[in-house]
Amino acid sequence: MSEPAPRIDPTSPADGETTPAPLTRGRRIDLFRAIPGLGWLAKRRSFQFWVVLPNLFLFLLFLTAGIAGTPVGNRNIIIVFVWILWWFLLISLLVPFVSRIWCTVCPFPFFGEWAQRRALIKVRAVAPKDRKSGPGVVIGRNRYFGLNLKWPKRLSNIWIQNIGFLFLCTFAALFLTRPIVSVVVLGSLFVIATTLHLIYRQRAFCSYVCPVSGFLSLYSMSSTVEVRAKDAGVCDKCKDKGCLAGSEKGWGCPWYVYPSKLDRNNYCGLCMECVKTCPSDNITVNARPFCSDRLLKGWDEAWKAFIMLSLALAYSVTFLGPWGFIKDWANVAEKQDWAGFATYTAILWATALVIVPGIYAAAVGLGRFIVRKVPGAALPFKDVFLGFVYPLVPLGLLTWIAFSLPLILVNGSYIAMVISDPFGFGWDLFGTANMHWTPVVPEWTPYIQVVLLLGGLFFALRVGFAHATRLYRETRVALRAFLPVGCLLGVFVGSLIFLYAA
Amino acid sequence: MRVRATRVLLAVAVLGAFGTAGFVLAPAVEAPKERSFTVRAHRYGYEPERMRVNRGDRVRLKLESKDVVHGFFLEGHDLDATIVPLRAAVEFRRPSRPGVREEVAEVNFTAEHEGKFRYRCSQTCGFLHPFMQGELVVGPNRLLPVALALVLGMLVAGFFLARFPARRA
Repeated sequence: MSEPAPRIDPTSPADGETTPAPLTRGRRIDLFRAIPGLGWLAKRRSFQFWVVLPNLFLFLLFLTAGIAGTPVGNRNIIIVFVWILWWFLLISLLVPFVSRIWCTVCPFPFFGEWAQRRALIKVRAVAPKDRKSGPGVVIGRNRYFGLNLKWPKRLSNIWIQNIGFLFLCTFAALFLTRPIVSVVVLGSLFVIATTLHLIYRQRAFCSYVCPVSGFLSLYSMSSTVEVRAKDAGVCDKCKDKGCLAGSEKGWGCPWYVYPSKLDRNNYCGLCMECVKTCPSDNITVNARPFCSDRLLKGWDEAWKAFIMLSLALAYSVTFLGPWGFIKDWANVAEKQDWAGFATYTAILWATALVIVPGIYAAAVGLGRFIVRKVPGAALPFKDVFLGFVYPLVPLGLLTWIAFSLPLILVNGSYIAMVISDPFGFGWDLFGTANMHWTPVVPEWTPYIQVVLLLGGLFFALRVGFAHATRLYRETRVALRAFLPVGCLLGVFVGSLIFLYAA
Repeated sequence: MRVRATRVLLAVAVLGAFGTAGFVLAPAVEAPKERSFTVRAHRYGYEPERMRVNRGDRVRLKLESKDVVHGFFLEGHDLDATIVPLRAAVEFRRPSRPGVREEVAEVNFTAEHEGKFRYRCSQTCGFLHPFMQGELVVGPNRLLPVALALVLGMLVAGFFLARFPARRA
C-alpha cells in the first residue's frame, strides 16, 4: 500500500513549489534483449504494413457484412467480432499488457497515411540539398504530401476525444446491436481519419480526434510495456534526432513524441519508427510493473477518467442490469421513446461531465481542508486533484474488464456461429453455424467481477497513496489528505459490487 | 523487509477478519418453502425483473410471453425454456442433454446453490436480445456481505497499516 515516505523537509520550498519525487519506478526488462528476434522484427520497414494489412481486410469484410449481411446483430460478424470479441480483447488483454498495440495494427489511418507518405513501406528521405525542391512538404528529413497543416494549438488536447466518445456511447444500444449502425460509426471514423490525414500533419486524427485513442491513451498508462530510450544521456548528446526528424531508415515520429522525454505511454502509438530511426540503437520496448506511469497532466485527461468510469457504471446498469425500461430508453430507434432517451442522455452526460467530477472534486477539497493547517500542505488544487484522479486509471480499467467479462462469457458462442456464417446467409463453412447458444460459466460471473473490482480498489488505493506521499511527503498528512478520496473509491466499488452481486 | 512482511501479514489478517465477519453476519437461511412466480417476458426484460428465494426452496415458474417468442435460460441450473405467446405450455430442455425436449406447463426446480443467477432470453427476439435478462437471487447470497466487508477491510487495512512503517521508523 505504501512506499517509504520522506518526512516533510523544513527546508523544502514553500506552497506549490515542492519538487515532486519521480513517479515512474520499478524494474524494467528490455524485451528486445529478452525475446530473440523481437528487435529485428520491429526494425523491419514492412513490420507495420504486414500487421495492418490483415486487419484492414477483416475490417472491410466486417463493413461488407454490416451492409449486405443479416440485420440480426448476434448473427452478423461485424457485431460479434467487433463489439464482443475485439472489445473484450482490447480492454482485458491488449491495453493492460501491450499498451497501445491496437494503434500499431489499426486500419483507420491506413489510406490517410498512405496518401500522406505516398508510400506503404519505403521511406521518403530528403537530402539537405533537396529540401527546397521536389513535390510535397519536407518535415524534418522526410517528404510528405497533402496539406500538412499544423493541428490548432487550442485543440491540442483530448477534449474532442472525450466529447466524441461520450457522444458515440450515448448511442451504444444502437451500434452494439445493429450491423448497419456499426457500419455508419466505423465507416465514418475511417473517412474522418483519411480526410484529416490529407489536411493535417502526421497522426493528428489519432492524437486528437479518434474516440478509441482517447481511452487507449488513458488506460495505456497502466500497461505492462512501454517504448523508452535505453539511456537518456545518449539522447541528450544526440545531434541527429532521427526519432523526431526521420531518416532514410524511417519516418519522424508520427505522433510527435520525443522518445528521450517520453515518460508516459499516453501518446505513443507503438509504431516502432523511432526504433528504426535511432542512430544509436537507443530505443527499446520494456516490460514493467502494472501502473508504472502515474501522472495525469491536464483537466482533459482527468475528465477522460471520469467519463470512462461513468460509462462503465452506466453500461453496467443499462446492459447488465435487469431493468427493461432503461434498455427501452437507450433503444430509441426501436421503442421511439424520445422522452426516455432524452432522460437517459441527460443522466449519462450529467453523470460523466458534472456529477462524478463534482463529487470527486468535493472529496479532494475535503482532503485539502483536513490538512490545511499542516505547514507546507497547502498545495494547489489542480496538483492534488490530478494526482488523486489517477487512481481512477487502474480502477476504471478493472471496472471495464468486470463489465466486459460477462459479454464474452455469455455471448462468446456466437463467435463460433458467425465464423461459419459471417453474413447470416445460412452458410455453414465449418459446421458451427447452427450450434446452440451456450454461455460459459455464467454463474461464476459475479464472483469474478467482485475479484476484479477488489483488485481495482487495491491498485487505486495503492497509487492514490503513492500520489499523496509524493505531494505531502509525510505519511500521516498524506493519509489524511487522501482519506476522503479513498473512502469515495470504496463507496464506488461497493456500489458496483451491489449492482453485480446483490 | 521485516516491516514490509509484517505489514502484508497484518493486511491479510485484517482482510481475513472482515471477510469472515461478512460471511458470519449474512442473514440466516429460513426453512425451505415452495415459491411460485409468474414470469412474463417481453422485449427486452422480464416481469418480475428480480426474484428472491432462499437456498433449498422449491421454485415453480409459470412462463408467459407478452409479445414474441422468448427464451428463459437460468444460469447455473441447467434449465432452458422456449416461451411462445398465447400458449400455456413451454418447451423445456436441459442444456446438458441436447436434443431432449418436453412440453411443460410449469418449470420446477430446487434452488440448491446460493448466489445471484441471471435468467436470459435464449431465443433471438430482437435488437437488444443479448441484453434481455432478469435476476434470481438465492439467499443467503453471502458473496455480497463478504465482498462489501472486504471493501471496508481494504480501506481499514490501507489507511491504518500505511502508517505502520513510519511508526516503526
